[in-house]
Amino acid sequence: MILRSTLLAGATFLAMTSFAEAAETLNIYAWADSISPELIEKFEKETGIKINTDSYTSNEDALTKLQAGASGYDLVMPSQHFVKIMVDEGLLEDIDAKDMPAFKQVDDKWKHQWWDEENDYSIPFAYGTTSFTVNRDVYKGPVDSWKVFFEPPEELQGKIADSSSGDETISEAQLYLGVPFCTEDKAEMKKVRDLLLAQKPYVAVYSTDNIGNRIGGGEVGAHSWWDGNSLKIRMNDGANVEYAFPKEGVVGWMDSLVVPKGSKNVENAKKFINFMSEPENATVQYNFYAHSSPVEIIKEKAKYTPETAPELFPDVPVEFQKACSPEAQELVSKVWNEVMQ
Amino acid sequence: MKRPGFNFWGLLPAQLIMLLTMIIPIGIIVVVSFSTRGAYGGFDYIFSLESYQRLLFSVGWTDELEFNPQYLLIIGRTILLAATTTAICLLISFPAAYFIAQRQGQLKVILLYLVTLPFWVSMIVRVYAWLIILGKNGVIDGTLSKLGIVDNLGSLLFNNGAMLVGLVYSYVPLMILPVYASIEKLDPALIEASHDLYGGRWKTLFRVIAPLCKPGMVAGAVLVFIPSLGAVIEPMLLGGGKKMMMGNLILNQFGMDRNWPFGAAVAVVMMGLVMAVMILNALRAARKQAETA
Repeated sequence: MILRSTLLAGATFLAMTSFAEAAETLNIYAWADSISPELIEKFEKETGIKINTDSYTSNEDALTKLQAGASGYDLVMPSQHFVKIMVDEGLLEDIDAKDMPAFKQVDDKWKHQWWDEENDYSIPFAYGTTSFTVNRDVYKGPVDSWKVFFEPPEELQGKIADSSSGDETISEAQLYLGVPFCTEDKAEMKKVRDLLLAQKPYVAVYSTDNIGNRIGGGEVGAHSWWDGNSLKIRMNDGANVEYAFPKEGVVGWMDSLVVPKGSKNVENAKKFINFMSEPENATVQYNFYAHSSPVEIIKEKAKYTPETAPELFPDVPVEFQKACSPEAQELVSKVWNEVMQ
Repeated sequence: MKRPGFNFWGLLPAQLIMLLTMIIPIGIIVVVSFSTRGAYGGFDYIFSLESYQRLLFSVGWTDELEFNPQYLLIIGRTILLAATTTAICLLISFPAAYFIAQRQGQLKVILLYLVTLPFWVSMIVRVYAWLIILGKNGVIDGTLSKLGIVDNLGSLLFNNGAMLVGLVYSYVPLMILPVYASIEKLDPALIEASHDLYGGRWKTLFRVIAPLCKPGMVAGAVLVFIPSLGAVIEPMLLGGGKKMMMGNLILNQFGMDRNWPFGAAVAVVMMGLVMAVMILNALRAARKQAETA
């Protein structure tokens, strides 16, 4: 513990000196390109609080940074299973989220969820799904099953792109095989491994970077991806792509706004959460981010509707990822290491 | 005139910086590698050799602890990749450096400047540039199909070749500069002497020029080999991330695998390898010095 507290002291000292520059700041650590720049500007103008943003591309990155202690961040945006882990590990500030004005804007079905039952720590921010996107110039067949992705027909062989996150790829394989997420059953996980190993010769790349270019340009024919991102390249860039809704289901995720323990600007963070949850702003955010909003938005001003954006309105089961036990996670790692060996 | 204690006090700031930014962090890594993993990442200060055991043995699908060479494979693959990168860099660097050394005046300076130019651009950007060059409809594919030479070459990405291209491109300047420095010092009279003694072009190259340039080549090889061992971006972006390298393995331990101590242990092994290379090199140099002295 001595080591850790000296580290902490050092980091706090650094943080303090940098905080001295501006009186009111808010340091946000969020998914890359997730918060509308327009809203950041508006918030800064309205409140005089200076926002610094830093971004991550995986929940694990965010968790690791908070675990290392004294990150200097005031607001983080983890997915549901990581909210649960962060709460259990004591990494979050209790902000009495249920008493905040923002909480009243949250759709009832997203209140009191398993990752934060009392809503002490988190306000839901955006949700969506993970499935796969196909380039329609490359592949014209049906996309109603994960079979297309994991046991690809000839046109897609060598043109499959998996996520480089083992958690994501394994969850998708589990949906296809009907294996429950976070299972501790070795026999079931062995089936998952066998499926991924059988798929591997047809996989061109395992990556979560630069997906839009790769699938939009037809470098690959099918890419593991997220609903809103697929929607945006179809709508904004005119890419000939389709987001698949396989009958076995899609992976669901919900990102929430949380305040890490030790934040120096808790009040500013809460102000920002409330600000983002006002219907007017939530609508701007929805139109920018293109992922579904768990807080109330102004329907008339929403750019995406079931007609224009079917990507955001799944008609198949949505399975949310869970916080796996260490035993289950060990199996996930084992499968992934063997696939990547 | 030497002031007493000047060496000690004069070097103290440098020593302190070394201690604070090098020795202590490395010490922490070693300590963590012998600790016990936390359930959701992190670690507890309880001594354990589990991480080092895991390098060789893991619990198999039948619940038994069995010898598992998967991590050795990853380490072996990484060394092979670094060695191949170094060899290719050497093959490119020698003629390039020789060519530069033969130029005169201003031109030489410009050429050397061009060699270092890529360092001014972020590594990620340079790797992304290769994505554009090698990709489908990219510079190579696009040009060749427009000229009608090859029809539908498609993507050249996501294979070992693309990964090597990226690595060699990234690190070749680190080889050219020291090799250049040793060629520059080469006495042309020795080459002439070789020719006078009926040494042909090849014989002169291998018996006279190469041995004299060896120090530069060794220095360059060390400079290229070591960072190649830790390559993460090139295997992921250009190679397609289909096979794990040591860098990705370490990264994963602090992410999905939630096993910080094992990540630290792999880092320690990697550090050991790097140190072995450095020590061998230093021993060789010392022996050389002893011989000439």
